[in-house]
Amino acid sequence: MATADLTSGTISYQRKQTSASWLSQLFLLTRRNLVNIFRTPEALIPPIAISVFFLVIYQSTLGTAAGFIPGLSGKGYLGFILPLSIVSSSLAGAGIAAQNLVKDLENGYFDKLLLTPISRTAVVLGPILAGSLVLGLQALIVVGVGLLLGLDPATGLPGLLAVVGLSVLLGTGFAGFTVSAALGTGSAAATQSAGFLFFPLTFLTASFVPLELLGGWLKTAAMFNPITYVLGGMRSLMLTGWETSELWPAVAACLLLAVAMYGLAAYALRVRTRRK
Amino acid sequence: MSDREIKVENLSKSYPGGVTAVNDVSFSVPAGQIFGFLGPNGAGKSTTIKILTTLALPTSGRATVGGFDVVSQAGDVRRIAGVALQEIGLDPTMKSMEMLTLQGRLFGFNDRQAQNRAQELIELVKLTDAVDRRVGTYSGGMRRRLDLALALVHEPDILFLDEPTTGLDPASRRDIWEEVRRLNRQLGMTIFLTTQYLEEADELADIVAIINNGRLAAQGSPNKLKASLGAESINLVFDNNELAEQAAGKIVDMTERIQVDRDTVRVYMEQAAQAIPSVVNRLQQADLNPISLTLTQPTLDDVFLQVTGERLKEETAQPAAVVAEPAGRRGRRRK
Repeated sequence: MATADLTSGTISYQRKQTSASWLSQLFLLTRRNLVNIFRTPEALIPPIAISVFFLVIYQSTLGTAAGFIPGLSGKGYLGFILPLSIVSSSLAGAGIAAQNLVKDLENGYFDKLLLTPISRTAVVLGPILAGSLVLGLQALIVVGVGLLLGLDPATGLPGLLAVVGLSVLLGTGFAGFTVSAALGTGSAAATQSAGFLFFPLTFLTASFVPLELLGGWLKTAAMFNPITYVLGGMRSLMLTGWETSELWPAVAACLLLAVAMYGLAAYALRVRTRRK
Repeated sequence: MSDREIKVENLSKSYPGGVTAVNDVSFSVPAGQIFGFLGPNGAGKSTTIKILTTLALPTSGRATVGGFDVVSQAGDVRRIAGVALQEIGLDPTMKSMEMLTLQGRLFGFNDRQAQNRAQELIELVKLTDAVDRRVGTYSGGMRRRLDLALALVHEPDILFLDEPTTGLDPASRRDIWEEVRRLNRQLGMTIFLTTQYLEEADELADIVAIINNGRLAAQGSPNKLKASLGAESINLVFDNNELAEQAAGKIVDMTERIQVDRDTVRVYMEQAAQAIPSVVNRLQQADLNPISLTLTQPTLDDVFLQVTGERLKEETAQPAAVVAEPAGRRGRRRK
């Protein structure tokens, strides 16, 4: 074991008992999580497949019948339904980063990270950011399929990039929620099902028709659902143009969700470490 | 700058439900010493190490590592301490080089420094041939060596090793011992080592503390502990019990304590080695010739028996992760 020597070697070794800057901690942990996610690509395929499937089905079944909605028909409906497809794929994929975290918790690597002098916020944010970047990639793929189906967004390529940007932002909230579940339960199955808790949100909103056409309690529920505003912002980019009155609420809803879910995750970590 | 010492004062840890894993434990480890924390499974060793390395909070009492309080200055403790836990924490999807480089970077190395350091450590722990393989394919011994390397990345002032050789074959165990000694001598690292092997504590430790049921049962240097048991013994084996009894009769006045066990006579005395010639002389005069003569010093096992009332069982076949400590609290999921 003592063939090589700690003190010899090419670098004259100086003791390194500091820690990386907060930003590099965050970068390093996010990168590690991303690399791990792409090492099990099979986990990435189902969410993307499901959302592409829904996009095609919605478009084929409702797209032709959508003439009854004022101002929406044919390709217009594709632009209307694409954001919903992106949001549901984000939900389906939100668990990916958290599943990696559960593995870290199980194999003890998470403790190894806690034993290094790094910030607890970076420990929580690393998997969240990696998760949201993956969701952005998914959105990119859904948008690509949309283009193949004949999507013609009102705001062109910049608008499409803005849609992807919004989905990264929204994904931060979703990933924050599943990361909280992972930290709170430490169980892969519980984390998996926690992702489904968000699913009703995609229906308690202006899923298939614009908000104005909803009525009664559903409309009230939709008003409190952040996804309504995200869909609204994305749809305005697809159908009408750069409307700040639609975009700001979308950004605000994403940020609000992200901050709340980060808070939840940080709390879950506190509880987890306090318990010991 | 840390003072490389460990001080523990009246440390206790109890869990809801009334289980007390560590009960009013105090000890200190001077800079540059190897401290052997000895005890059976579930005695409280792992809990103590988790408190000292900031993974767990004490219920009461106080501990400093390198002069830093483990509760209020946890970040400083993490900076100067290296830790290899009994439950090896490795990511099976990563490669050893990646894991070591990441560890180095988290401790503030730049990318090139981190890679050089990782390379050095991979050679040190003899993983050069496995460097391109994912850690999931490693054997138990390789994983333990990588875990040790991870603990050494930042060249800690104080190194915590929680049962570093449990489950290793004798050759790998010797390798770890040699490395622990080298780290201690060449770099002056203070080393806190838990073990359930008496031989390991005897071999490595400057100071030994024996913990049993959460309480400290004894502490001191291995030799001092053994000496506290009193005398060494001369063991004389004869052809049969009758001869042994006769021999005992001839030398009974030379010692305070003598014991005949079947064909063996045990003569307990201070400085037994010097007394051998006169004992043998006396027996030869009576024409009693032992077929073998050995000198026994008390072992740590005897010390353990003395302070705890039971033998320390070295059950290597026992799966260490499953046994003991308050049920359900040992696993990683609920810490």
